[in-house]
Amino acid sequence: MSALISTVRASLTYRGREGHWLWLLHRVSGLGVLLFLILHVIGMSSAFVSLEIHDRLLEMYKTPPFAIGELALAFGLIFHAVNGTRIAILELKPELWQKQQLATRLAIVIVALLAAPTIIIMALGSINAFFGPGAGH
Amino acid sequence: MTTMNPSAPRPARPIPQGRNRFERAMWLFMRFSGLALLFLALSHFGFQHIIVGTHQLTSEDTIVRWGLAGESITLAQLFWRLYYGVMVLLAMLHGLNGLRQVAYDYLKNKVVYNVFMAAAAALILAATALGVIALIVGVNASGAAEALAR
Repeated sequence: MSALISTVRASLTYRGREGHWLWLLHRVSGLGVLLFLILHVIGMSSAFVSLEIHDRLLEMYKTPPFAIGELALAFGLIFHAVNGTRIAILELKPELWQKQQLATRLAIVIVALLAAPTIIIMALGSINAFFGPGAGH
Repeated sequence: MTTMNPSAPRPARPIPQGRNRFERAMWLFMRFSGLALLFLALSHFGFQHIIVGTHQLTSEDTIVRWGLAGESITLAQLFWRLYYGVMVLLAMLHGLNGLRQVAYDYLKNKVVYNVFMAAAAALILAATALGVIALIVGVNASGAAEALAR
């Protein structure tokens, strides 16, 4: 247990700047997306067991806790996809490693450009569903 | 062990050679499944979660997309079943191997690691099997018909 705590603490306190934070976020986003994936696949499989259960689950997805979780999922998925591409390209072309800091900053910019409109569109959709005309149906 | 020249560029993570065939295969799998998921997962998320939007989802959409159990399916429904089947398989295995790498780093006790990974693998493989079986069978609307009749 103490080994686990010290390894987790080392993960959090190691000062590797942006590259280290991307490494850490890649793990956290991967675990988060995996957790969602398991719940999502089991949830959608319900349609093949009973349409009644499936309907109730779809209604549950339209509640505020799930809407907020979906925003985190959007960021995690986009981040993991972009950062994973950065890792794969750098490993495929080791000579590019000399420009790793540029690649790191480029990845952050691309994540921001993709995640910002996605999160705004989804948040507006949720705000409209919860507070807009016809809310509560 | 060769001495490192600090000014020479270092490869990001060398491909494991020779002895560790499994790790090499997994390393390659993570790259190829990751590339496929880049298109599959992002297109799925972009369409269902952003363009359509979760608040617009109904069970009728599920029936239209995947088809009813016991009925012959259209070409479009076959496409969606294959699309989701490939995505579920790749995403689950990509996630399972990623989880294994994280668990290997943090769970130093071998017994704890083995128990954790056995439980995680059982859960992930069960969810995968459920998803794939569901995609092969089709939507079961008999429950809904009974509910409407009541």
